[in-house]
Amino acid sequence: MVGNKAAATAVKLAKVQVASAFPITPQTTITQYLSEMYAAGEWDFDFVNVEGELTSQVVVQAASRTGARTFTCTSGPGLLYMHHPMQTTGSSRLPVVMAVVHRGYKGMQPDHSDLMSQQWTGWGHQYVEHAQEILDSVLMAYKVAEDPRIRIPIAVGYDGYVLSYTAEPVEIPAQEEVDKWLPPNKAMPSVLPDEVDPSTFARGWGGGDPQMPWKVHHEAILKIEEVLKETMDSFEKTFGRRYGNGMIEEYMMEDAEVAILAMGTIAGTCKAAVDRMRKEGKKVGLIKLRSYIPFPVKDFREWAKKLDGIAVVDRSICPGKGGPVFAKLRDSLFDQEEKPKTLQFHAGLGGKEVRVHDFEMIGDKILKAAKGGKVEQVTWV
Amino acid sequence: MIEIRLHGRGGQGAVTASRIIATAAYEEGKYSQAIPMYGTERRGAPLTAFVRIDDVRVRERELVHNPEISIVLDPLIAKQQAVVNQLKPGGLVILNTAYPPEAVKIGGDFNVATVDATTIALETLGRPITNTAILGAFAKVTGLLKVESIEKAIKKFFPGRLGDMNIAAVKRSYDEVKGPIQAVVKEAPEQKVDIHVGGYGVLKDVSSWRVFTPEIDVDKCIGCKTCWIFCPETAIQWDEEKNKPWIRFEACKGCGLCANECPVNAIKMVRVEV
Repeated sequence: MVGNKAAATAVKLAKVQVASAFPITPQTTITQYLSEMYAAGEWDFDFVNVEGELTSQVVVQAASRTGARTFTCTSGPGLLYMHHPMQTTGSSRLPVVMAVVHRGYKGMQPDHSDLMSQQWTGWGHQYVEHAQEILDSVLMAYKVAEDPRIRIPIAVGYDGYVLSYTAEPVEIPAQEEVDKWLPPNKAMPSVLPDEVDPSTFARGWGGGDPQMPWKVHHEAILKIEEVLKETMDSFEKTFGRRYGNGMIEEYMMEDAEVAILAMGTIAGTCKAAVDRMRKEGKKVGLIKLRSYIPFPVKDFREWAKKLDGIAVVDRSICPGKGGPVFAKLRDSLFDQEEKPKTLQFHAGLGGKEVRVHDFEMIGDKILKAAKGGKVEQVTWV
Repeated sequence: MIEIRLHGRGGQGAVTASRIIATAAYEEGKYSQAIPMYGTERRGAPLTAFVRIDDVRVRERELVHNPEISIVLDPLIAKQQAVVNQLKPGGLVILNTAYPPEAVKIGGDFNVATVDATTIALETLGRPITNTAILGAFAKVTGLLKVESIEKAIKKFFPGRLGDMNIAAVKRSYDEVKGPIQAVVKEAPEQKVDIHVGGYGVLKDVSSWRVFTPEIDVDKCIGCKTCWIFCPETAIQWDEEKNKPWIRFEACKGCGLCANECPVNAIKMVRVEV
């Protein structure tokens, strides 16, 4: 099953009631699979064809307000076109789940600049590695997004082509088990516009504090950390699979001296590289970042006490500013007593292939830096 | 881990072939991964696909750079893609060609098997879609997967009669494959593999894309210009003096639109001899 089929299968298992999307490579086949499922009457849902991504976001936003479980998906430039209504979906605290099939802006091959460019829209942002994780993460995203403590839309990002079109074995959970684990979504009257509490959701009507909606929104997103960790535990209990604690997934970290921080498909390649380095006696591990928003600050503060170095591999860049994950990691550790050495690596931009030996080079550099060796701060892999 | 690279053209089913191999491996209780790699997606454009088969879940997400096996679905693709480049020493290349492996001029330290997949495909499917017509050869000469597993996988991709036709192609290819033998030519210059070979035909020589070539019968031609209007690659040129078409063959990819549209059947599509 290819990555996009895994996403569509999760949509089916979650019994989404309203889906709307506009096709764009490399997301297109999700809409094809959903259309085929609709044509075959596989379950009762509406698929709304639209003239563009902006409308698809508005459709799921409106449907979500009524309490429907909703899904949309897009890629690269399509996500930019969706930017405006995404703000409202976030601000209205609607539990929409969206698959973002990464497509770069400088060429069609994937990097993470599309989803990274939507940091300010008030969504939860997750990045996944393989097809099984897509299916599982979309299911978990509904559980988290619809939790009454959260009510935040979640975007699940995965790399186009090399994952969206790559076929690999995927275990499909039984529908009855999913039904039991993921009860239907409920409309929350408190987020309907006419019943809004002016101090929280509205834009400062009635003399409320206009800053309050931002504070409430921010705090709700931070709560995803706790709920995602809970959800990962219950997911494992029901389906027998887990991805670390939900926020991060550690690989060969038990006795690691240094860690490579990577996300998305290249984290899989990194695991193979870690295996090779371990055979050579190098104590390198991988911390796969699954949730970029909220950022696993607590987890990294714990790891900071134990590690001598962290190599951050950013697959996106804010030109003139640098890698967002690197900046956020250092921000998380700035006030800590014990801090590991950190290095910035730019890799996989514009879909550039990141190979096993690239990660071995990254591992060697962070090992050298951790031992006090002179290594440049920033490397373009 | 076994790594396989497939070379083909859009429309020959290389991506489907990679998925069939991966699915067949899964049927035999193995983990697998099939990665397609293409530029602009369209019929005729050269493309590459990759398969990994392993006993544990495949985590590597880089492309396959040193395959054990190279499967070549198009008889002429070797002119555009380095089909044996970085093949592991002692590896295997399976070529779609009517020639026996002894006549293969591609050289190096590897084994060669050949099968006339285009003819098999034309005779079993009626179209030059060579993917399944090479998979039987793959099953036989590699022994990696049972031919039954490949047939089972094909039924998943092509249900019904289409599946039966493709399985017939697999069976013929299993019976008709020649080799493998050690490559006769030992030394070969290293070639650069260009996997980003999409692009637009009007700028490129696409003559090697053809399985069929149009032949114009100028006596039958009534000069209506229908072929000239329909040709998607501007391969059909117009001789204003004679009021007859002529073909710029480097731009013709052999799609057959002209033959299809000609109101007086003055254009015939003729199989390219390789």
